[in-house]
Amino acid sequence: MRVDLYEKLVRAGATRRDLLKGAASMAALAAASGAGLGALTKPAAADDSLRAKILQIPGVGKGQPTDSDFQKVGELCLEATKANVKEGEFAGVELTFMGLNNQNLHNVLFRGFLKPWEAYTGAKISWIDLAQADYNARLQQSIATGTVDFDIIEMGAPFEGDVCGKGLTSEMPDWVKKQIDFDDLVNYLKPPVGTWNGKQYRITIDGDAHNFNYRTDVFSDPDLAKAWKESGATTEWGVPKTWQEVQAVTKFLKGKQFKGQDVYGYLDAPKPWGGFGFYFLGSRASAYAKHPDDKAWLFDADTMKPRINNPAWVRAIQDVIDALPSEPADQINADPNTTAFQQFLAGTGSMIPWWGDVGSNVKTNDSSVIGDVTGFSILPGSDDVYNSKTGKWDKLASGPNYAPNCAYLGWGVYVMARVDSDEKKKKAAWSAAAHLGGKDLSIWTAMYPSGFQPYRNSHFNIPEWVAAGYDEAFITSYLKSEGDSYNHPNAAIEPRIPGIFQYYSAAEDILANTFAGKMKAQEGADAIAAAWEKLTDQIGRENQIKLYKASLGM
Amino acid sequence: MAEQTSTANAWPANPADLIPASRKRLGWGLLAIATLALLAIIVVQILYKTEMSTTGFDTWRPVIYAYVLWGIALGAWQVLTRGEDGQRALFLLPALLFTIAMVIFPTLFGFYIALTDWNLSSFTGRRFNGLDNFWQMLSDPYYRNALLNMVLYVLAVLVEYVIAFALALLLNAQIRARKLFRVVFLLPLMLSPVAVSWMVGKSLMEYRFGPAATLARHLGWNNPAFFSDPITARISIMMLDAWTFIPFMMIMLLAGLQAMSREVLEAARVDGATAWQTFWQVTFPLMLPVSVTAVILRIIFKLKLADIIITLTSGGPGGATDSVSSFIYREYRDRSNVGYGTMLAMAYLVLIIVFVTWLLKLASRFVRNVN
Repeated sequence: MRVDLYEKLVRAGATRRDLLKGAASMAALAAASGAGLGALTKPAAADDSLRAKILQIPGVGKGQPTDSDFQKVGELCLEATKANVKEGEFAGVELTFMGLNNQNLHNVLFRGFLKPWEAYTGAKISWIDLAQADYNARLQQSIATGTVDFDIIEMGAPFEGDVCGKGLTSEMPDWVKKQIDFDDLVNYLKPPVGTWNGKQYRITIDGDAHNFNYRTDVFSDPDLAKAWKESGATTEWGVPKTWQEVQAVTKFLKGKQFKGQDVYGYLDAPKPWGGFGFYFLGSRASAYAKHPDDKAWLFDADTMKPRINNPAWVRAIQDVIDALPSEPADQINADPNTTAFQQFLAGTGSMIPWWGDVGSNVKTNDSSVIGDVTGFSILPGSDDVYNSKTGKWDKLASGPNYAPNCAYLGWGVYVMARVDSDEKKKKAAWSAAAHLGGKDLSIWTAMYPSGFQPYRNSHFNIPEWVAAGYDEAFITSYLKSEGDSYNHPNAAIEPRIPGIFQYYSAAEDILANTFAGKMKAQEGADAIAAAWEKLTDQIGRENQIKLYKASLGM
Repeated sequence: MAEQTSTANAWPANPADLIPASRKRLGWGLLAIATLALLAIIVVQILYKTEMSTTGFDTWRPVIYAYVLWGIALGAWQVLTRGEDGQRALFLLPALLFTIAMVIFPTLFGFYIALTDWNLSSFTGRRFNGLDNFWQMLSDPYYRNALLNMVLYVLAVLVEYVIAFALALLLNAQIRARKLFRVVFLLPLMLSPVAVSWMVGKSLMEYRFGPAATLARHLGWNNPAFFSDPITARISIMMLDAWTFIPFMMIMLLAGLQAMSREVLEAARVDGATAWQTFWQVTFPLMLPVSVTAVILRIIFKLKLADIIITLTSGGPGGATDSVSSFIYREYRDRSNVGYGTMLAMAYLVLIIVFVTWLLKLASRFVRNVN
């Protein structure tokens, strides 16, 4: 439902529930306003009514949600819990939850969502909040020293090798699968993701892939189009579809003005970010390095020999080196947090890859100035793709090679095995996790700033987003970029191997030197490959090969 | 009187000799039992943890309990065998045992960890690898780079000292609102370096909207990026760190200035010394002991520099601002490379001890020669 329509009828005396509980109401509303919403709605059921109701808290475009909003949403979504848990059933149970507090999201929201759950069930939750950059170290230390001091953890799939592989997690009970409607997950997040040795451990609460975010106003500006032609370009001025075009546009925009300000093209994130910054080189490299005939792109699957120093990755590194002089002067000191939240949302730069957070923030984040001028697509492709088996660059008959970087595979909630010895505690932990992974609650986290992106098939119902207040063209573009990335046949999949962030972190340090001009692209890539080989030997090559293959579904 | 003297002389020279032998035996027996029990538990636990035995405890907690009991037995042994002297020792023992448990043992254990190959993700866990980490450290360009940066950071202390001395002289002079200025100049020291990084480094010095960047543009610097160029970034980090810690040196120097005898200064003035002569030939030499203390303490603080770098640059661009501590932090925290990270830390510890010891000797000789 559109917000203005909703407000109009509420002012007329109707309650939210009255207005939103059925198809008849929707039709009446549409008729009353003359807005013709009927075409965008589907037959409403009780669930639709609930979903429509929570999606008006606080309302798209009405500022960022607060803790009271989180609690309201948590309260309204409690029905699924009530079906499996009696009131006060977990009285006396104390649980510890470890998660992130990035951007004041994640745990900050979980607290609000779970407050009504605590009130209903009688359980009490203690919180361990971690910054993104501290997360890996804290988790690894807990595992290695046998000091797992939490019952529930918010964790990404890349850590499953470290945690589930060591028997530290509790297997998901069947009743949880039903409560969260497990089958609603998009395909790429279904097993093997979330499983280990065939057992299901994860409640998915997020879908992750890097999409491509761009400024529609920049790429439709007639003055820039004219200047582009005058610069001798042979193509039309528009959103780049390949990395070759991204490079050309970025160099072209250097020194240009748009709306009275400096306009920049692509924004790289060269500064290390606890390993997570490596994904951004990965996004530049995937179209070059991920061949449609080969599932592997980071290592040779049979030997774990790094591919980071092959011509594809070296080309991506060189692209960054070539583009940096055309980016803002302080770009060398920008990490992904800077590029997305301090630069792109604030109007600097016209292209960045990121997880879907940019899309969910452009219209709802108070610091965003680009809510109406942002478009989305899958990551750019490449005119040619490197074939690691033949050692040659291939030009595909189908055109440019596209390979969305399914980086991180989204956050999930996992219950630790230490609760297994206490049935009541175990049920409480899984109930809390299931509440956070609930189907209705998930549509709210997908629509509002939460740190989480769409991850269920039911999240791709565009009329529901439009009814919540999203512009149809905008949300169609956003959801299409997400869905097309998730479902792409040549997606570059995150390896769920132990120590993966050690590989990324080691690479980040060397890349920082390379981007600063201390090494050439190939030298840097060779240094990373050497560091990765050493790391693989240190962690255990045979196991890594086995787990890498498993993560690629080989 | 003679009888009294005689009685006093009959006392043994050592009061402990008055203690009955049976009581001493009890003390020794108690200590022996506690020591044997402690050693037995340690051996059992080591065998269990190294999978050489199936008997043991899941955690090391029983060893800690045994250590505490051994400490109590040690105290009892002191009292039983040494009497009043032993009771006096009881005042010292808890602190000593605590230091052994919390400082000496972890340091020794750290040296052991430094000799192992221990990656937290490794399937095989911790493995002794001798001096491999040490040899790796010697050929590690990132560590060498961080050490070189530390030399530059430490040299910057001399500049900080000059500024701190100037401020101390200013605040020691008869100026208006002197007390207010003293408090104001101390404020940066009260701020957390992380807060300084955000408030100054990431806000005031922000390239796009930061007031410092805007001012720099007005002054003709077209691209006021404070952390993009190696030299500028290094200077920016030095300035931020200096801004935080100059007040520390300043307050020490100010205390020294205030403790100086005014008669000496007045005598210099009566003899016709200029302001500069008074400073250079009277104030400065008299202040040398305080100056040396302030500089050495500041160097010790500087050797731990990490928080501002971690928050602002992550050691970049290209390692230009990396300190040893920030590099170790990344090696240990981001890469879970515990064995190698510990070796880096231990080697740095030894370097610091040697350097500071040398510095103290040099300073003491310098002060002695000047005076």
